Amino acid sequence: MNSLQLVSPAFKKFRRVFSHRNRKVLAFLLLGSFFTAALIYYGLYRFLEYVGRAPMLGDTFGPVLGALLVSKLLEMLFLTLFFMVLFSSVIAALSSFFLNEELPTLMSSPLPIGLIFRSRLLLMTIESSWMVLVFFMPALFAFATALNANWPAYLIFPFFLLFFVMLPNLAGGFTALALAAFFPIRQMKKVFQFLSILVLTGLIFFLRSLEAEKLLNPSYFKDISQYILSLELPLISYSPSSWLHKASMNLFHNNTGEALLQIAPLAICSVLGIFLLNLFAGRFYRQSWQLSMEAVDNQVLGLEWLRRVIVWPLRYFDPVFRVIANKEVTTFVRDPAVFSQIFMMVAIVFVYGYNLSILPLKDIPSLYSGELNDTLVFLNGPFIGFIVASIGMRFVFPSISMEGRAFWAVKSSPVSPRKILFTKLFLYLVPMVFLGIVLCMVTNSVFKVSHPILLYLSFFNVILITLVITSLAIGVGAVYADFSAESPLKIAGSYGGFIYMLLSGFYIINLLALEVYPMYRLFFNRFYVVRGSSGIVLIAISAILLLACTAIWVYLPFRKGLDTIENYEPE
Amino acid sequence: MNQSEPIIRFCGIEKRYGAFTALKSVNLEIFKGELFGFLGPNGAGKTTLIRILTGIIQPSGGQIFIGPYDLFSQPDKAKAMLGYVPDRPYLYEKLTPLEYFEFMGGLYNVALERILSKGEEMLRMFDLWDRRNELIESFSHGMKQKVAMCAAILHDPEIFVVDEPTVGLDPRSVKLAKNFFKQLVANGKTVFLTTHTLSVAQDLCHRLAIIRQGDIVALGTMNELQKRASMSDSNLEDVFLKITEEELEQQTNIL
Repeated sequence: MNSLQLVSPAFKKFRRVFSHRNRKVLAFLLLGSFFTAALIYYGLYRFLEYVGRAPMLGDTFGPVLGALLVSKLLEMLFLTLFFMVLFSSVIAALSSFFLNEELPTLMSSPLPIGLIFRSRLLLMTIESSWMVLVFFMPALFAFATALNANWPAYLIFPFFLLFFVMLPNLAGGFTALALAAFFPIRQMKKVFQFLSILVLTGLIFFLRSLEAEKLLNPSYFKDISQYILSLELPLISYSPSSWLHKASMNLFHNNTGEALLQIAPLAICSVLGIFLLNLFAGRFYRQSWQLSMEAVDNQVLGLEWLRRVIVWPLRYFDPVFRVIANKEVTTFVRDPAVFSQIFMMVAIVFVYGYNLSILPLKDIPSLYSGELNDTLVFLNGPFIGFIVASIGMRFVFPSISMEGRAFWAVKSSPVSPRKILFTKLFLYLVPMVFLGIVLCMVTNSVFKVSHPILLYLSFFNVILITLVITSLAIGVGAVYADFSAESPLKIAGSYGGFIYMLLSGFYIINLLALEVYPMYRLFFNRFYVVRGSSGIVLIAISAILLLACTAIWVYLPFRKGLDTIENYEPE
Repeated sequence: MNQSEPIIRFCGIEKRYGAFTALKSVNLEIFKGELFGFLGPNGAGKTTLIRILTGIIQPSGGQIFIGPYDLFSQPDKAKAMLGYVPDRPYLYEKLTPLEYFEFMGGLYNVALERILSKGEEMLRMFDLWDRRNELIESFSHGMKQKVAMCAAILHDPEIFVVDEPTVGLDPRSVKLAKNFFKQLVANGKTVFLTTHTLSVAQDLCHRLAIIRQGDIVALGTMNELQKRASMSDSNLEDVFLKITEEELEQQTNIL
């Protein structure tokens, strides 16, 4: 028996997720993922290549400053990656070491504790790191290409990364083992989920506060030497991210020998860390696990005042709506891992608004700025759609799954599944539309919309998009419901969550395609007065098609979700 | 007990899962005011029938009438007559017992005052009143079972459907639960329960049915079952084993 055999049930479970899916859909998704990865890779490569040349800074300073900027961006990416893995590793460690459902069986078996621990460490490392690595890999390879790396660098770099993700995982493992000795595990897991969101939120603000766009604009610089010096300094000295950064820069510049020397501290720390953690676990793991079994669950009814404020107006609604809404709000407020997501969402919304506010529209010749402004207003609706869709994925999409195994209570009640789904749709539609409209108002005021039709159209678009996105979240969330999932975050990151985001994107493309002609006429009319009624007819056809398509996009996922729920047989 | 008035009628209920048949045309009548026990070995189809009765799963064929209502064409009216306690008490873990009652009561359109007063009465009866402000996630299996039992009674159902009511309960709670069922029946309600604890079934039930491999193989009072097994002085455990083994032998002979 070895550690790999002990994690095989988890791999089998993972395989089962895909085994009963339609092969064609899977192939399509796989191709879509490759396409997206290629797009990220190529887009970022072109961007980095441009930043590396920095033509706006002149022929002398451009390449020097550009190279420093690319290097700085890579360091920032490694730092972000490190913190992301660190926090997710503590959460994954608490789950894998103490809350995993196979543990009682394993702990009561005659297997050595070290073997059990190593299998949990492997599970935890995979769980905390795979998604980060998969999503960051195309971006990191784009850096390699932009820095003219040779092919061996692409083969060696994943090993560097492996050492790099090992360290935060080992730190997470130590932290989890130590925490278990003093605190109730379930509570700690929630606290860390909460903290990780706060740190990510902070990181979003930190990265934005660096104002990377200023680095490419010479008018912001008073003292170029000071600026070069600040670029050359590492963000955090003697840290794993700075070691990896130095090693990677050498590797991508094809100084492989130097790169291997630079990665040595990271490799030594990783190997030493594994050895020490094994020793530590051999001594304390069983003891910590026993303590975690004795710890009570969360008894704190935190944010009770907020819950009361939100549910107070619900008393005026019909009883079924009231109790379902009440339960949703209560569950939301009492789960720190869920409500803390709001901070991150607020940060994303803030950064989006801020980014728009600093767009250099004033620098563009006035003849064209009006047109550019209007085009941006038109495209802003779909962008808001993507923000609302990502918020929907975290909060609305998991709402059916989060009924959990208690769903029998609803199914055996006189309330029909249709009413349940309608209640949830309405419940989530209100804040989603509100959010969409607020975003639209703020961004419209930033753009100073010149045409009243555009202003109305932007609100109309946002309302249609949020309506479809909410229906998709409820419908697709019901079709791909996982009533045994513990965390809404896992549900959001599931296969169904991916389908939901994909479909949201398709609707937005559908909306844009149908509005292209009316928009073209709107711009065209400014220069030439159009005669005849053919244009009006085509605009009317576009509008009718748009409304019809929207109705279908709202109805179909909802209907499909309803069928699934009606036929669902709870455990 | 009013033998002339069936309050639940199973008419040819079938349930198939692919090639496997879980229920083979079950026909059964339960009368108003009856405490009916539904017995059978593991995997015989007891829980499947209960889940069909409570509208959680759909049968492959057949009809169920609850009072005057067809469960499948008038589910809202039929389900409003039922109170259900499942074998595994999965509840909304982030709610307190009183909040859970409010949720369940709301689904059955029960007035808030009734929910609170009945909820308090039931929690006190099951010794859970002191823990009313704690989250259900911290409760043991038995405590959750009691909360589920309390919630099932809030809307004053005519029929109480209980799947394995004594699993996870301590002896005092088992006694409380048994008295509770007797009290319900004394008040004219009907109780339909499944259990593996045959002594509980023998103590409580007016009539019993034994299901085996999706077929009802015996139905009647304790005396009638004893006669059927030709074991007039034996307890339910012996009778149950005799009947289920006989059935198995018969099937083996046929094969």
